Amino acid sequence: MATTVPPPAAAAKVDYLNLPCPIPFEELHREAMMSLKPDLFEGMRFDFTKMLNQKFSLNHSVLMGPTEIPSQSTETIKIPTAHYEFGSTFIDHPRLLLWGRILTDGRLNARVKCDLSENLTFKANAQLTNEPHMSHGMINFDYKGNDYRTQFQLGNGALLGASYIQSVTQHLSLGGEVFWAGQHRKSGVGYAARYNTDKMVATGQVASTGMVLLSYVQKVSEKVSLASEFMCNYLSRDVTASFGYDYILRQCRLRGKIDSNGCVAAFLEERLNMGLNFILSAELDHRKKDYKFGFGLTVGE
Amino acid sequence: MASRVSLKAKGKSSKGSKASEDRSASECLKEWTTWAMRKAKVVTHYGFIPLVIIIGMNSDPKPPLSQLLSPV
Repeated sequence: MATTVPPPAAAAKVDYLNLPCPIPFEELHREAMMSLKPDLFEGMRFDFTKMLNQKFSLNHSVLMGPTEIPSQSTETIKIPTAHYEFGSTFIDHPRLLLWGRILTDGRLNARVKCDLSENLTFKANAQLTNEPHMSHGMINFDYKGNDYRTQFQLGNGALLGASYIQSVTQHLSLGGEVFWAGQHRKSGVGYAARYNTDKMVATGQVASTGMVLLSYVQKVSEKVSLASEFMCNYLSRDVTASFGYDYILRQCRLRGKIDSNGCVAAFLEERLNMGLNFILSAELDHRKKDYKFGFGLTVGE
Repeated sequence: MASRVSLKAKGKSSKGSKASEDRSASECLKEWTTWAMRKAKVVTHYGFIPLVIIIGMNSDPKPPLSQLLSPV
C-alpha cells in the first residue's frame, strides 16, 4: 500500500525545471523606465482616439509648442512648431499588431508584430523620412522557450544583434547580448541581471560601450512605488543618478523625479471622466536654465 | 620579344577582364539590393497606413465607411 506523501517542505522547494519565463531583454528596466521616464512634453497636446471596432482604431494628435534644435553652444535654441499626426492601429490580439503614425512633415513611424507560431514572433519597426539617409528600419525575430528567450535583430546600416535571457531561479534571471554595427565599425557585448519579487525589482546592466546601468524599484504599497536609477559611462566619465516616485491613485497618476543633473520633472494624468484625461507636464532643468511646461487633453480609450 | 610582351599583355588583360566580371557581378548584386530597398522604402512610406486602414475596415464586425471620416 504505497501512498504518496508529499514532502513537508514541498512549498518551499524550488522546481528548477519549471521556472517562469523571463521578461524580454529589452524590457529589463521596464519598471524603472515607466516610473522615471514619463512622456514629458512642452506646449499643448491634444490626442483623440476613435475605436471603430474592437480591433481597429484611428488616432488624431495635435502638438503645438517649442521644439529644441541641437546647437553647438551651451544655450538651448527652441523654435515654435506645430504638427498634426494621424495614426491607425490594428490589434488582433495576440496574433497581429499593426501600428502606424504619420506626421505632417512626412515622417512615418510604423510597427508590425506578428506571431509566426506559438513561440516565434516577428517584429519590425521603421522610421521613414523624406530626407535621404535619415530613415531607420529594424527587424527582430524572438523565440520564447520554457524559461528562456532569445532574440535576433537585423537593422539597416548593417546592424546585427542577438540577445539571450534565462531564468536561473524563481526570482533571478541573467542575460547577455552582442551587437555589431557595420557602418560605424563597432561591436559590443553586454550582460544583464534582473532580480524581482512581488515587492521590488532590481536590475543591472553592463555593456562594453562603457555603459553601466543599475536600477531599483520598490513597491511601497498598492498605490505608491519608488524608483531609483544610476547610470554611468566609464569611457566618457558621465554619471547620472535619479530618484522618482509613482503614485497610482483612483483618478490620477502622478510621477515625479529628481536628477543629479539638476533636473526636476513631474507628470500628472488626471481622469476627468470616462475616456477624458487631462495631462500636465513640467520639467525644470536648473543647470541649463531651461523650463518646460506642457498641458494637454486625451480623448478616447 | 614583342610576342612575349603581347602575350603578357593579353594575359594581364584577360585576368583584368575576369576580375572586372567578378567585381561587376557583386556590384550588380549590391546595386539591385539598393534599388530594391529604395523601392521598398517608398512603397512602405506611402502604403503602410492605407494598408492598415484596409485591413481594419475589412475586419469583423465591419465598421461603416462613414465612421472613417466622422469625428463622433
